[in-house]
Amino acid sequence: MLAPPAFAHTPATGLGPLADGAARLVLEPADLLLSIALVLLALQQHPPAVRRVIVLLPALWCLGAVLGQALPRELLLAPLITATFVVVALLVALQIRLPPWLFTGLAAATSLGFGVVNGSLLSGHAGSLSVVLGEAVALAVFAVVLAMGLEGLRFRWRAIALRVAGSWIAASGLLMLGWQLRHPQ
Amino acid sequence: MVRPSALHREAVLLLGAAALATIALLPAPVLAHADTSHGGGFVAGFLHPITGLDHVVAMVAVGLWGAVLAPPALWVLPVAFPLVMAFGGLLGMLGVPIPGVEIGIAVSGLVMGLMVLFELRPPLWLAALIVASFAVFHGHAHGAELPAGSNALLFSLAFVIATGLLHLAGILLGETRRWPGGRSFVRGAGGGIALAGLFFLERALA
Repeated sequence: MLAPPAFAHTPATGLGPLADGAARLVLEPADLLLSIALVLLALQQHPPAVRRVIVLLPALWCLGAVLGQALPRELLLAPLITATFVVVALLVALQIRLPPWLFTGLAAATSLGFGVVNGSLLSGHAGSLSVVLGEAVALAVFAVVLAMGLEGLRFRWRAIALRVAGSWIAASGLLMLGWQLRHPQ
Repeated sequence: MVRPSALHREAVLLLGAAALATIALLPAPVLAHADTSHGGGFVAGFLHPITGLDHVVAMVAVGLWGAVLAPPALWVLPVAFPLVMAFGGLLGMLGVPIPGVEIGIAVSGLVMGLMVLFELRPPLWLAALIVASFAVFHGHAHGAELPAGSNALLFSLAFVIATGLLHLAGILLGETRRWPGGRSFVRGAGGGIALAGLFFLERALA
């Protein structure tokens, strides 16, 4: 009859920590928006970029989250997190082609960074590793489904849809950034 | 295919303008249980841009004008507007003052409505500049109104999606130009938006 432990940064689905992690992706959508922006950017680059993102994003996010849990305190970097996905989304909206090494580096650094920050927020909670795993699996599934779905679109419409989506994500991020600067943590 | 006569076209034009102006000038319904704080969450964010008719007509006008201008303006304008609007929102939330915001919003409806009515086609860079300039006013007004609340990112995301859907509504209305009488209808819609903008301008200046 004991109440389950409450996680400040995790929604409680009642289905266990793995499901809580997956739900976290949707209910605290900074990671979701980064993953969308990275997949969209990958689709605008050279063909292997999509495969790289699908592998790098969940793997490095998970690694970062595990590393972040070892940090002594929470990393409260919400404006930096938001600014990061705004930049990635702006690259999509402006349809900027990056050299392959730069794109791979950007995807790796942002995935790892987001993972570290998330891991630090979850550190100290019992079952947090399961939450991390749940979110990493959800990220992987989401990235694959999104990439597959968009690959099938006709190229001209896809190019427009990607840019529009990029502008929407960047705009959401800019509003969010203003909100965070107005109401600091 | 039956070609509409000049008289028919004018009638459609006038009817379109009158219908839009009437809708725009109707009083907004009072919802006793509505979340007036718009404090947070997806639903509140989604409702925020569509509850202000001065914003709605301008955002629909962006899509309509994009359709009149044809690709690439058809999608460049709806890409530019939310980005610059969000920048204006950022300024509003940070308390950076912009003079004449309400006047700017009203003028945006008036100008873009006239652009659609007269089917004006400036170069793409100029059209994007006009739309982006007005977007700052719309964003600033929304940004200054947003209170603190939970789920800020969901709020922002829903807000932008609603804005984008209003552009899409304008584009779809604009695409009726391909049909017989559609061109007159779109021009009429532009006239209605211009009239609504004039009304909002009179109110802003009063």
